[in-house]
Amino acid sequence: MSQKDSFVKFEKVDKSYDGEILVVKDLNLDVPKGEFLTMLGPSGSGKTTVLMMLAGFETPTNGEIYLDGNPISSIPPNKRGIGMVFQNYALFPHMTVKENLAFPLEVRKMEQSEIDKKVSNALAMVELQDFGNRMPLQLSGGQQQRVALARSLVFEPRLVLMDEPLGALDKNLREQMQYEIKHIHEKIGITVVYVTHDQSEALTMSNRIAVFNDGKIQQISSPDVLYEKPNSSFVAQFIGENNQLRGKVKSISGENCIITTDSGDDVHALKININNNGDGSLVSLRPERVAINSSENFENNFEAKVKELIYLGDHIRSRVEVCGNDQFIVKIPNSYKGANLKEGATVKLSWKASDSRALDLN
Amino acid sequence: MKRAIKAAFFGLISIAFVGSAIADITFVSWGGAYTASQQKAYIDTYSKGSSITVENYNGGLGEIKAQVEAGNVTWDVVDVLPDQAITGCDEGLFAKVDQSSFINDMVVPPVSECVVPQIFWAYTAFYSKSAFPGKKPKNIKDFFDVKKFPGKRGIHTWANALIEMALVADGVKAKNVYKVMSTPEGIDRAFAKLDTIKDHVVFWSAGSKPLELVSSGEVVMSLAYNGRIGAAILSEGKDFEYIWDATVLEQEYLVAIKGGNEKEALEFMAHASTAQALADQAKYIPYGPMRKSSIGIIKKGEPWFIKEGGNIDILPHMPTAPKVLKRAVIADPVWWADNGAEVSERFGAWKGN
Amino acid sequence: MSQVQTSTGPILTTDGIPLKVSLKKAERKNKIRAFLLVLPLLSFILITFLVPIGDMLSRSIDDRQINTVFPKTFEVYKKWDRQGLPSEEVYKTMFFEVKNSEGYDIGKASTRMNYSKSGWKSLLKKSKRKFKKIEEGPYKEKMISIDKKWGDPEYWKALGQMVDPTTMGYYLNAVDLKYDSNKNIVQQKENRRIYNKTWIKTFKVSILVTFFCLILGYPISYLLATLPLKYSNLLMICVLLPFWTSLLVRTVAWMVMLQQKGVLNNLLVMSNVLADENRMQLMYNQTAVVIVMTQILLPFMVLPLFSVMKTISPTYMRAALNLGASPLHAFYKVYMPNSIPGVSAGCLLVFIIAIGYYITPELVGGKDGQMVGNWIAYHLKTTLNWGLCASLGAILLAMMTVLYWAYNKIVGIENIKLG
Repeated sequence: MSQKDSFVKFEKVDKSYDGEILVVKDLNLDVPKGEFLTMLGPSGSGKTTVLMMLAGFETPTNGEIYLDGNPISSIPPNKRGIGMVFQNYALFPHMTVKENLAFPLEVRKMEQSEIDKKVSNALAMVELQDFGNRMPLQLSGGQQQRVALARSLVFEPRLVLMDEPLGALDKNLREQMQYEIKHIHEKIGITVVYVTHDQSEALTMSNRIAVFNDGKIQQISSPDVLYEKPNSSFVAQFIGENNQLRGKVKSISGENCIITTDSGDDVHALKININNNGDGSLVSLRPERVAINSSENFENNFEAKVKELIYLGDHIRSRVEVCGNDQFIVKIPNSYKGANLKEGATVKLSWKASDSRALDLN
Repeated sequence: MKRAIKAAFFGLISIAFVGSAIADITFVSWGGAYTASQQKAYIDTYSKGSSITVENYNGGLGEIKAQVEAGNVTWDVVDVLPDQAITGCDEGLFAKVDQSSFINDMVVPPVSECVVPQIFWAYTAFYSKSAFPGKKPKNIKDFFDVKKFPGKRGIHTWANALIEMALVADGVKAKNVYKVMSTPEGIDRAFAKLDTIKDHVVFWSAGSKPLELVSSGEVVMSLAYNGRIGAAILSEGKDFEYIWDATVLEQEYLVAIKGGNEKEALEFMAHASTAQALADQAKYIPYGPMRKSSIGIIKKGEPWFIKEGGNIDILPHMPTAPKVLKRAVIADPVWWADNGAEVSERFGAWKGN
Repeated sequence: MSQVQTSTGPILTTDGIPLKVSLKKAERKNKIRAFLLVLPLLSFILITFLVPIGDMLSRSIDDRQINTVFPKTFEVYKKWDRQGLPSEEVYKTMFFEVKNSEGYDIGKASTRMNYSKSGWKSLLKKSKRKFKKIEEGPYKEKMISIDKKWGDPEYWKALGQMVDPTTMGYYLNAVDLKYDSNKNIVQQKENRRIYNKTWIKTFKVSILVTFFCLILGYPISYLLATLPLKYSNLLMICVLLPFWTSLLVRTVAWMVMLQQKGVLNNLLVMSNVLADENRMQLMYNQTAVVIVMTQILLPFMVLPLFSVMKTISPTYMRAALNLGASPLHAFYKVYMPNSIPGVSAGCLLVFIIAIGYYITPELVGGKDGQMVGNWIAYHLKTTLNWGLCASLGAILLAMMTVLYWAYNKIVGIENIKLG
């Protein structure tokens, strides 16, 4: 990717707080203009630190960050012109909603009429026209969230950062807000860097997702690729539900391989990041890709014992024991066919080799 | 088990009751070397059954009045100044005392019917010899003369004795001081004299303070309680020198608080006011006994003041020594009871302006 | 449908009892329980706080001490035209009421009378003793021959102030006014005017102390609230350490520091900043009172400030910076307004404590550092003029109430936060 394409660029960035532990290691990242990039990872994986360095509240220990081609490490946060939505919104409690929105415009010494116009536009954008004179604490969580969003956008920044902005909302509201943010992004086409530890949030909203662990990006891809084709066992585990079969590499042929599980069964899978015969491997397999008592035959066919059935309305989640793993999950659609499984029954499971991915053992 | 606990419980209660039946006496005084002298002279030697608890206070009748008015008297014997002795007796805070055993043996008659005699103490001017290598201040005129003896003066924060001293410094004879003070012009005259040193004074209120002020050189001379000066010279070997002029003698009495353990208190006060007890007190602090016969006992016993490495003659340090008494003013508590409040307010106004 | 409902009477429960009655009944038990829970504290406050304050307020106007001792004298006294000396009848009634008085009434009355006119105290004491020997009139002559004060109209006129069972005299006294002998309100004699000056001084010192506490306390509280815990704990101990040391010890330590031959002056002289003869007078004056009280009261400013600042999320400042404000502007526009509740609480607390302070002014105040508290203590302990104490105290209380009221009007008391 050329300099021009990358609106935000991290180049060999390291960050350490205490001089002993690197919380961000050799980060190289390019974000093109207009992209919605999500940094996803467990807490402590370094994603928030990356965001703070971008906002200017932390300085990189090594390396450089570029914004629109210019290094920004020496620019103080108030001069970067980057919008940000904070975890707990950080709305100023002593100012009304309007005053909150006007704040970034006032410090830029805009004219009052201009300010009024922009503030009411911003309020309209988040559909809070009638709430301008309320204090933030008189608003519900979702409304506060929207004000925070409007405030981060009202001064028309080039880039907006969002630090787990939906973490404090309940589930329904969170989902609703995800769509709203997505729509606003689509409408104004601004570049967004979004931090979350919620994978479904990341999948819903992003153009691309960078999965962080241990200070490093493990994989950076579009949501579908990330879900369907995780290239490490960490990513496979972190994104979506996942069955794992532990074993050793028996043979490799081209893109395919055979893994012998600890129980002695041979599983056909795609070779992803294993190299030699005899190496340990985890075979990763999405539950919805497993057929149960299917008449079709795939590369992998095993007998399994039903351990537990959980009725979830649209599907039945069944835990079975197969290839020595008794935590193996199969999702059975609650369709007209019906499933008619009983706990303790023996069933046949089958799946394609191309749906099972032989990954590293970590 | 239960029974044992019960027994122990009632036992404790009965002990508590028996304990309060042999009344203990709470003796309240000013603390420091003075209370220590009382402790050694007649509290430690008291053996009439009542045990004595000593407490300190900072003078004034406020606490006593509050105790009596609330009907919750916890103090029994209190060491008081004469104007308080008068007011407290008048207002019924103190019990009356049988004064027949000492009334004819006193240097001055007792100020009220509620008191037994203790000591004379004095406001005295003093300085550190090292502060005046050349000419030394000799009388109270010198104390008020900042031209002849430049430097700061330490004085106390209340009016007593200052009015008297100012008048003597202004030329009034010691014995005429109260006559002059009883006229409005007399008070004006005293304040006019005080004005002359006003910009050169450092105020103190705690008795130990003037000694520190003089020792540290913060002031060149100061007024102080004579006992404190004496103790510093005798026990600590300080190079202080008295100015035995216009020394203002104050009296000190013991009183029994009404509603306290009066009977035991009066018994103790009889013990604490014998000629011997008062003389013994002078072994530890250079204040002058109020009973004539105590002086005799001391004179016979000199060197009387107890000090490690050899006793010292105490009479020269006493404010009641004849040569001191000749130039001294004996404070008139009746005058102060009448005019104290008014003069104090004026003194406060003088201080603040 | 809705029409039917609006026209019906009170809503009833299923048993037919009006809902409100039923609700009240159900809640009564809770109310009684709540009342019983607060009862111990309520009675404690009543006994230890409200009763004494009520007693104090009543003392500040109570003037019955004499009325009960000289009831008959005051009856005939009221007829006197206040010209020259009173009639023989007044003298005679006074004579017998003094002579026949019992116990300590005379003593107490004389203390009160002495406030109006110095000299009454000894006059009554002496008269009580001498009246015993007088059996018959003319009383006027004989009384004057015992003490010529009886022939001084000023003494008699002074009695006029005490005729009523209540008096404003103590309050007048507390603001440098007094009744003259004809019961007109006039200014106190010039050389006895102390209280107005003291009031002004008390306010001045309290305001200065509050101001300096705020100036010194604000940055340290900010630091405390923003430092990581292990450092802020250490710093907090440094702030609180003096708090745990005896007040007297601290005050004396300041004396050692500030006196003319003290540490500070010595250092300045040694480093040739000051000449030896130009040592600064930092002790025994108002400056000393302000310095020492500021140090002593600082924790009372820091603690509320700290606990409020602790609740100000650091993201507010970050948000403000992020939105483009300079650090100074962000602090002024965002941080400071949010710390106002702590500032208010701290200032009010320090001011209230400062205004009644007396130990420190007593020790380091010297000649011009005395505050109202010192006069209260003086009259409480030495002159026993509790009426004056009470009126000084009541004025202090009234001032605090006014201050509180004004504060509530301007800032709103709900803005006070102690944590």
